Amino acid sequence: MISVGSGQKISPDGKAKIQLQLLLHTGESTTFHFANGSTALKDRDATKELLQQLLPKFKKKANKELEEKNRMLQEDPVLFQLYKDLVVSQVISAEEFWANRLSLNTVEHSLSNNNKQEVGISAAFLADIRPQTDGCNGLRYNLTSDIIESIFRTYPTVKQKYAENIPHNMTEKEFWTRFFQSHYFHRDRISTGQQDIFSECAKQDEKGLKSMVTQGVKNPMVDLLSLEDKSLDEGYGTATVPTTSNSSNKSLRENSNSAIIKRFNHHSAMVLAAGLRSHIIISMCVIYREAPSDQASETSSTDGNSRDSDFFQPPLKKVKLQESIEYDDLQGDSGRQTIALNLKKSDRYSHGPIPLQSQHYTTSQDIINSISIIQHEMRNYKPRLTQVMSSNAASSAITALSPGGLLMQGGGQQTINQLVPTDVQSELKHLYTAAGELLRHFWSCFPVNTPFLEEKVVKMKSNLERFQVTKLRPFQEKIQQQYLSTNLTGHLEEMLQAAYSKFQVWQTRRMMRKT
Amino acid sequence: MIPKLCYFLKLLVFIILNNLILKLKLNIDGLLVYFPYDYIYPEQYSYMLELKRTLDAKGHGVLEMPSGTGKTISLLSLIVAYQKAYPLEVTKLVYCSRTVPEIEKVFNIIYIFITHCIINSYFKIAFQIHFSSVKYLSFLALRFGKEVDGKCHSLTASYIRAQHHSNPSQPVCQFYEEFDAVGRQVPIPPGIYNLDDLKDFGRRKGWCPYFLARYAILHANIVVYSYHYLLDPKIADLVSKELAKKSVVVFDEAHNIDNVCIDSMSVNITRRTLDRCQTNVETLQNTISRIKETDAAKLREEYSRLVEGLKEANVARETDMYLSNPVLPDEILQEAVPGSIRTAEHFVGFMKRFLEYLKARLRIHHVVQESAPQFLKDIYEKVCIDRKPLRFCAERLRSLLRTLEIADIADFSAITLISHFATLVSTYSKGFTIIIEPFEDRTPTIANPVLHFSCMDPSIAIKPVFGRFQSVIITSGTLSPLDIYPRILDFRPVTVASFTMTLARTCLCPLIVGRGNDQVAMTSKFETREDFAVIRNYGNLLLEMSAIVPDGIVAFFTSYIYMENIVASWYEQGILENIQRNKLIFIETQDAAETSMALEKYQEACENGRGAILLSVARGKVSEGIDFVHHYGRAVIMFGVPYVYTQSRILKARLEYLRDQFQIRENDFLTFDAMRHAAQCVGRAIRGKTDYGLMIFADKRYARADKRGKLPRWIQEHLTDGSLNLTIDETVQLGKHFLRQMAQPFRQEDQLGLSLLTLEQLQSEDMLQKIAQIAQQA
Repeated sequence: MISVGSGQKISPDGKAKIQLQLLLHTGESTTFHFANGSTALKDRDATKELLQQLLPKFKKKANKELEEKNRMLQEDPVLFQLYKDLVVSQVISAEEFWANRLSLNTVEHSLSNNNKQEVGISAAFLADIRPQTDGCNGLRYNLTSDIIESIFRTYPTVKQKYAENIPHNMTEKEFWTRFFQSHYFHRDRISTGQQDIFSECAKQDEKGLKSMVTQGVKNPMVDLLSLEDKSLDEGYGTATVPTTSNSSNKSLRENSNSAIIKRFNHHSAMVLAAGLRSHIIISMCVIYREAPSDQASETSSTDGNSRDSDFFQPPLKKVKLQESIEYDDLQGDSGRQTIALNLKKSDRYSHGPIPLQSQHYTTSQDIINSISIIQHEMRNYKPRLTQVMSSNAASSAITALSPGGLLMQGGGQQTINQLVPTDVQSELKHLYTAAGELLRHFWSCFPVNTPFLEEKVVKMKSNLERFQVTKLRPFQEKIQQQYLSTNLTGHLEEMLQAAYSKFQVWQTRRMMRKT
Repeated sequence: MIPKLCYFLKLLVFIILNNLILKLKLNIDGLLVYFPYDYIYPEQYSYMLELKRTLDAKGHGVLEMPSGTGKTISLLSLIVAYQKAYPLEVTKLVYCSRTVPEIEKVFNIIYIFITHCIINSYFKIAFQIHFSSVKYLSFLALRFGKEVDGKCHSLTASYIRAQHHSNPSQPVCQFYEEFDAVGRQVPIPPGIYNLDDLKDFGRRKGWCPYFLARYAILHANIVVYSYHYLLDPKIADLVSKELAKKSVVVFDEAHNIDNVCIDSMSVNITRRTLDRCQTNVETLQNTISRIKETDAAKLREEYSRLVEGLKEANVARETDMYLSNPVLPDEILQEAVPGSIRTAEHFVGFMKRFLEYLKARLRIHHVVQESAPQFLKDIYEKVCIDRKPLRFCAERLRSLLRTLEIADIADFSAITLISHFATLVSTYSKGFTIIIEPFEDRTPTIANPVLHFSCMDPSIAIKPVFGRFQSVIITSGTLSPLDIYPRILDFRPVTVASFTMTLARTCLCPLIVGRGNDQVAMTSKFETREDFAVIRNYGNLLLEMSAIVPDGIVAFFTSYIYMENIVASWYEQGILENIQRNKLIFIETQDAAETSMALEKYQEACENGRGAILLSVARGKVSEGIDFVHHYGRAVIMFGVPYVYTQSRILKARLEYLRDQFQIRENDFLTFDAMRHAAQCVGRAIRGKTDYGLMIFADKRYARADKRGKLPRWIQEHLTDGSLNLTIDETVQLGKHFLRQMAQPFRQEDQLGLSLLTLEQLQSEDMLQKIAQIAQQA
């Protein structure tokens, strides 16, 4: 792999040996000797060119990986501790440590890469193109790639034009010159000629605006059309009769003014939309998904089926209405806004947690048998009334057994944090995380179905053993010296034992299969 | 298992406690009022006190309380409690609001209110009231298109149904038949119905929801609908005719009620109306001649019915207390239709003549303004049309349409309009004016003659409401100055009060900017509004504010044309570009759908943190119906004083009328009107005590006492002498400071005891004294 190459050297042109030397990250270097005579020089140069292009990319990648690892270690103290415990003390190698981590992380990473916040568009990007007079009756516009990007994102039609015309019809410079000359850029100028390539853009924009308008608004609280309960018929009222808005009625100036206003609304909407592209896609999906259901409802209404009235009120409307009438300060503490309890298994909720038992599968025959036994027992049940407790005694027993009752104090069990000094505690914590990490590696190998995993599981087993010897044992000795109960590590040992026994089972099975 | 059960029981107790003890039970002047929240604002308590007094006195009231202080819930709690305590005194609450979202909000509040109380009564501890035994009904606008109306009429008209009896193949509306057969006997189950619920209910039962709703209005305890159903005589006659006298009527958001009244009585006639009317007349004529050949008896029958006079209607009306219809005044019913228009042909001929006369009137080249008597005199001289038959026009046309069995009445809207005009103009000699304009002022070259028959006296339309219902409450966030409403609506209220907003922190910051940094006065005065320096300074103000205010800014201009001009010159000067560096810009247009879109995008931009500016127009749709809560409006800038377009002849006529009849000077009224709109605009940003916002009045004229004094008290209070004539720089400094302060966390505890009270706090002696000061009697 040359991917770690950090640089290359070539032999001077005059030399007989045509060589290319690559410097690797690790400090080693590899030298290639181009030997096929006449074309050697050419080959070498071509290789060099290619490498020159590729190397920065790989470099970036390698660096990125290192950076990423570094960042993860810095951000996560627990991971850092784990790294120290496992890698620095050479329980497992660095690759092993990261192999699992990074794969976990790359998923996240790629996700976050997808959701990477795009840089929004400044609303004033057109203003940033400051025209400067060049002294001889002309204007100079300064375009940067950022601005062009902004223009394309805000006005997709321009991008389309650009793609159509460049480079076969005109040069890029010509394109932008025309753009700045067009009425499309100066919206207050009324379109005159048809030869302007941007007149189509303007039309498209108009269409877009219109479709936006006809789409209507989702939030009914801002829908001015349904604001008024219009009950005055045409002809009644003092409001002046709406003038038929043909453009001949208006002066040129008024026309251009309203064009400016329209343009600003459109521009702002487009800028906003460009920043929210992904949202729009989502909302479009939603609309798309809603559309068929609408149709369904249409059909159901024609055949007179009754529907829930909620169906009529879109939920958004309800939410908005609710928002608009809420007085949060008049309401009592918000604690009452409880989160709905989401029960997956309601019977488990009402019976309380039952300790998980090793799975016993009962056949239906078993169940029937046991029921008949119980039935039988119940039939023979006779309360021995002489030995029943008095109700007083019973209730006191129940109180004693209730939480906080006499018998529920938990005996003399003092919690571990009172008994054990803090340094031991923290060490124990580290041990737990380290062991957990190793065990995770170990268990993730099962089911073992590839040779790679086989290899890994064996390695992990040895890692575990090494951990037990180098980490756990010294700790046990230490707590013994301090006369603490060895019970502390009991659970750890159990976990390790469980892993060993699993490994044992797996190995014997493998042996059997091999034999 | 036992601990689980304990826990469950605890939970149950918790729920009960929550609903029984934490909710407030208030003692309002001896009336037990349930309040569905845990805390109460002091001003709500005060508001309820005043309201109770008004109801006790069986009089009308004018109450101003800032929006966001829970006006609606106070109103509802008190009136419902009153209804429960004195079921014979108050039988019904009619709640009118202006916009559809507003109505829906009220509906939802009712819902919260009732559900809380139902939970309470369910546990039956200390509660005597069973709210569930009462019907609550919210009635939203019946928004049917014209086509639906026509279709409906063609299936349900009485003659169609009669035909159906003899000829079962004649299609009728199954929903209506079903409703007619059983719907009126079967009570609607108690509950809260909005229009959708009613539709749903109707569908399940197979009843027509429209007629169901009209029927249900009569039996509901609470009705919520829009103004028109009560104020517009044409609709009120259908919908609200039989509402009981002992109802309490509430007009919420009533700051524009005078305009609604005027609108409902005014008529505009254009040349297009007349053309359509012409075709209507021709259709009528053809139908009549056809019927005459086939079924002359029908026309004869109608004739004799008209000779009898509209006696039946008269009897029905004499059972008192039906809303009298201004289009059809009471006196008409005493007489029979005059002979000259009694036969169908004569009436059509009469309408033709009237139509020709109107056409001739519209053919003028100069503006004419005349009073109703002048018009009548002229019409008598020119075409010999008497006043009396004109008065019967509307009724006669309705009768004719019924007789001719014209199913699709939607087509006849033009001739209906003309007949209404005829009846109105001949009925009212005062309070109306006729203005004929040959062209629009802005386009003097294009002939577009319009006849405005304009009502100038809002009290005409609202008079029957005041006369009929025992208590009418007019309330809004901006009713200042309070004394003007009783004057222009011509009624005598028993309580007139303005409530302030008690605040734990001053969350509103009104500033009056009078000068730019160059000391040039900022004003939208007509002489200087096109001044370059003024426009630039306005632009600078917006630019500076866009840099310091987070999230949303709303700016209002005085008129749409002014905004267009300013936006254009800002564009030329490059100010808009600079503003765009800070925020996105959205602008209200004259197209409602486009504006809705801009509005939604604006909210989206505020929501995602980008921040935006909405340029809008005072008196426009946005300023009237859209709230900018919290981050949707952290600052409102009012560019100029939103005077109404004073060159309008209708307005001039109205001002003259106000001066002559009510002794209100033109200037007073104009200022009042401008200030109520300004207050509406800036008030859009503050929608509650946890909200905050800057209110910037960008015109030096606001600093004058006559303008400032007309702002609502809750804004005036926070207008210090130090913030009366600021430059842009000073405004920015003050604004920055304010916003920084407001951005600090604000918790409920900060409010408690000051602007938010528990029951104990409410009952303490000195708090009650403080509360007494909240209400200011005008």
